[in-house]
Amino acid sequence: MNELLAFIASHRAEMATRLSEHVVLVAASTAIAAAIGIPLGVLAARRPSLSRPIVGLANLAQTVPSLALFGFLIPLPFIGGIGTRTALVALTVYAVLPILRSTITGLQGVPPAVVECAVAMGLTPRQVLRQVEWPLALPSIVSGLRVAVVIGVGTATIASAIGAGGLGDYIFRGLAMVDPTVILAGALPAALLALAADAALAAAGHLSDPRRRSRRHVVILAAAGVFVVMVAVAGRTSGGRADLVIGSKNFTEQVVLGELMAQVVEREAGLKVERRLNLGGTAIAHQALLSGGIDLYVEYTGTSLTAIFNEPPSADAEAVFATVRDRYAAVGVTVMPRLGFNNTFAILVRGADAKRLGMTTVSALTANRAWKAGFGYEFLERPDGFKGLSAAYGLTFADAPRVMDLNLIYRALAAGEVDVTAGDATSGLIDALGLTVLEDDRRYFPVYDAAPVARASVLLQYPAAATAIRGLAGRLSAADMRRMNFAVDGEKQDPAVVVRAFLDRIGRF
Amino acid sequence: MTQPAVQFADVSASRGGRAVLHHVTVAVSTGQTVALVGRSGSGKTTLLRLVNRLLDPDSGDVLVDGKSTREWDPIALRRRTGYVIQDAGLFPHVTVADNLATVPRLLGWPDSRVTARVDELLSLVGLDPGVFRHRWPDELSGGQRQRAGLARALAADPPLLLMDEPFGALDPITKGELHAEFRRVQRTLQRSVILVTHDMAEACALADQIAVLHDGHLIACDTPANVRDSEDPRVSALLGTP
Repeated sequence: MNELLAFIASHRAEMATRLSEHVVLVAASTAIAAAIGIPLGVLAARRPSLSRPIVGLANLAQTVPSLALFGFLIPLPFIGGIGTRTALVALTVYAVLPILRSTITGLQGVPPAVVECAVAMGLTPRQVLRQVEWPLALPSIVSGLRVAVVIGVGTATIASAIGAGGLGDYIFRGLAMVDPTVILAGALPAALLALAADAALAAAGHLSDPRRRSRRHVVILAAAGVFVVMVAVAGRTSGGRADLVIGSKNFTEQVVLGELMAQVVEREAGLKVERRLNLGGTAIAHQALLSGGIDLYVEYTGTSLTAIFNEPPSADAEAVFATVRDRYAAVGVTVMPRLGFNNTFAILVRGADAKRLGMTTVSALTANRAWKAGFGYEFLERPDGFKGLSAAYGLTFADAPRVMDLNLIYRALAAGEVDVTAGDATSGLIDALGLTVLEDDRRYFPVYDAAPVARASVLLQYPAAATAIRGLAGRLSAADMRRMNFAVDGEKQDPAVVVRAFLDRIGRF
Repeated sequence: MTQPAVQFADVSASRGGRAVLHHVTVAVSTGQTVALVGRSGSGKTTLLRLVNRLLDPDSGDVLVDGKSTREWDPIALRRRTGYVIQDAGLFPHVTVADNLATVPRLLGWPDSRVTARVDELLSLVGLDPGVFRHRWPDELSGGQRQRAGLARALAADPPLLLMDEPFGALDPITKGELHAEFRRVQRTLQRSVILVTHDMAEACALADQIAVLHDGHLIACDTPANVRDSEDPRVSALLGTP
């Protein structure tokens, strides 16, 4: 709890921004959904033949998992892409169903005798709707709005994955860092926001009850509305416009690298940087870069080659870099000089074994057929995983390698359950558990050199930012990266603090 | 003889594709109360709904003030036709006064006239305006609701009143009170009234003419005394049921 309060205190300004982003996302999407759902509900209640397809469609939309929906939306023109607009579309889709349903239920719940009387008294269809059906259906419609808002507050946390900000930033950051404090910093305000919004709408519901209608309620509600708008506006404007938007994908190393880029640009180029960290994956980060949602993030050359440009993987670092540089140039993206480390697979043994046997390379491993090997499922399956490795080095083991969970593999090795495994070259656990990386002396593994990629136009506009980032070329070793990853994951340090310490150490400031 | 307030001329009608009225011809004279009597499904409610165009006939004509309902603007027709149903059908979300004020407001009466009219109507149907003006419908007893429903139907002083089982949901004592109330109001106002009921005793108590419907056919139309003396077993069967 104290940690949470300390985190909130030290992130006050940012939290206000995220909270206001969240409020704006939910309020705007619910309003749009109401503008769609209520008229559709009226139509469906009027014509039962339309009711089934309309509700069916809304049901279907509701069953699409939110991340999948964001994924579908990203490539679409106008409503797609990355950022607030796409998030609004997705949130609206989710909010329509409860509003639509409650509208239909509310209208169908109006006693037929009452409607018949209204018609027989000479009310026009419009007057029947406005004077009789609408007021009687309103409590149900308000309850639908309440459901929509509560769902919206929850779903909006996922909007963070496509760079729309909101409180989900903390949840995703916390998940990536395995830090419950940071998760809570997002989840707790989101829960409170949901409760507050629900209570506000409940008050509005009382207002729709004619017997409790009073000026006092109107005043309270208006005040609440003004307050929400003010929070939103204050949060929006307090930051001012950033010169540069820096992104990252959603795992610890990426967040650290994003923070590193941001601090260097802020300090050395004196520019205002907005951080869009924790984007939901390579495809989303790339789309964000192309659409201008972000201006820069750190990518790995091998990932660009295979995942973005659909080329086969390669272990030739220079060839990969040249290919990727050319392919990016064609879409207006500049690949900056590589930072200095290669985040590829690493064959790991216990440090004590390596020292005892004087083992430094993967080739040396072939002398130990009796060793027990354990690998992650993916490494065993991928063609560029164990199969290729075995062929390239003539490496075989007496027993078939064990399949293990990737997260447990480092500890299993340290504990002696296996003798050799394949891990991630920049995992913070390698140093923390005293493991040794064997050199890939036959250059079998594809290369994944970290390199910032940036929108060319932005680099032209802010040459100082380009200079600052170029200054990091070759300055970040795999050991540095491992240390920073461990500081965040293992020691629960704030990425901003870890990055500042690193920059101080290499004498940048 | 003056023109009838309502004239059903060889009217046939169906509901949901099923024929429920067959060639019915009957007239309602101005200022008279005509009861439509029959068992459930005899077509009496359907006949009533033809008058204010909640339904249109398949063939034949319903003339209101000598003009076919097909030629009436349904909205204008309904605003000059009072409508009362069982349990009154009051709007639950507005007060008794606002219920009564609905049609006068639609007709654009000034507020002062509406307010005065509401109090006048409440007094007419035996509800103290000071007590009942601001009551909500669910705060009324069944009899009070029915009185308010009658008052609402009379609000804009319509020459024609349609009543569909208006006293059907009331206990015998309250029903008796309301019958007396209705006769008193009708003596004062002399409206043309069509009253649907399955209760022959009620019809005899309130109506000048009784039209008996059986399976969509009009089988009798006469004064209460003559209907009571009818030899038709289908009519006497109705007399047997309270």
